[in-house]
Amino acid sequence: MAPETGLAAGTLPVVDAPPELSGWAGAASAIHAIQQMPMPMMLRLHIAGHEPVEIDFAFHAFAWSGSLADLPTHPESVLVETRPAIPDRPSIELPGRPLDPLLWTIGWHAFGEEPAPWLREGDRYRLRRWPSLSELDPTLDQVRMIAMLGNAFATADELAAAARTPPADARRLVNAFGVLGILRRSAGAPALDAAPPSGTAEPTAASRTTGLFSRLRQRWGR
Amino acid sequence: MEHVILFAGPMGAGKTTAIRSLSDIKVVGTEAANTDRETADKPTTTVALDYGEIHVSEDEKVRLYGIPGQRRFDFMWRILRERAAGMVLLVHNDAPDPVGAMSEFLLEFADLCERGGVAIGVTRMDVRPGPTLTDYTDVLERERPDLMVPVLAVDPRDRGNMEMLLMSLIANIEMRAVYGGAGALT
Repeated sequence: MAPETGLAAGTLPVVDAPPELSGWAGAASAIHAIQQMPMPMMLRLHIAGHEPVEIDFAFHAFAWSGSLADLPTHPESVLVETRPAIPDRPSIELPGRPLDPLLWTIGWHAFGEEPAPWLREGDRYRLRRWPSLSELDPTLDQVRMIAMLGNAFATADELAAAARTPPADARRLVNAFGVLGILRRSAGAPALDAAPPSGTAEPTAASRTTGLFSRLRQRWGR
Repeated sequence: MEHVILFAGPMGAGKTTAIRSLSDIKVVGTEAANTDRETADKPTTTVALDYGEIHVSEDEKVRLYGIPGQRRFDFMWRILRERAAGMVLLVHNDAPDPVGAMSEFLLEFADLCERGGVAIGVTRMDVRPGPTLTDYTDVLERERPDLMVPVLAVDPRDRGNMEMLLMSLIANIEMRAVYGGAGALT
């Protein structure tokens, strides 16, 4: 049973999502909207066949009985319930669980290989901070793309070209960071160099760069 | 070719253990009896340096230096920071003020952070879950908005954890060198 402390009166009703916001898409869009709001919010996700997930954005934490690995990739339905939270009063028992891995998982699956609807074509994006993904054990391709986006503005397609990864993976990554709320946007930033640093011409896994990162990766077989 | 990576952090954060997890050689240590059991309840502590190596190839290695956490040995910090490409900063979450300790070390090594890079490993989060990783990143965003700093929860005994932290640091240094004009790991 989720704790009810810290919730303001006058909660919003649970509403069925329209078809275009089915699965994780509706939840991702709601989370992205909440990230833009100045007032602290609490969100409850009702996932078909699972206990509700309680998210407290003010404390950047969530509560759920399950493992993230148990979250369905394509849930039959996700109903989103939002409530204004009372400032300085957590809606879950703290410290809760770190929010980044949950939001990453939702954002990664929400729109498949398509860009999230809030991303504008031609705009470039950069990270405000490094995501806290320890629990998820990201791949080294993802780590490299995180480092790229941490140091330069890029579109998802430019990121894919620079990292020599499939464009769909880069789009999912940028979508996920949008749900985390850690993207900065620029309409006028220059394009990302497509071949850092001193990259080789062939996009083979073994030669993505000639830097220490790649050599250590080969050394460790990762 | 060689690269120098420092392992810094308060006494008891797990620097020696982290280097042991990564090193391809038996770690050369300079541990002595710990007379400051109040700060860190462990029998020994590093008084000069720990040293380990990762052999990338026959002619390339990464030198891992663990520097003592106590300020009275900070002359060792000055010697090594000039040679370092980057720093792994370990902070144990059950320290009295771990977020403050992080800030203090980043300030102390500001030149290295500017020139190279830093990655932060928060240890012992299983012992004390708060502060959260977000508490660390919030302070980083506020104090150093210009720096992109990986912050990971790690167990220094876990080689996979430490490889991921080191790779995050190296990826960040390399990308900053390409896109941000900082020094490079060649």
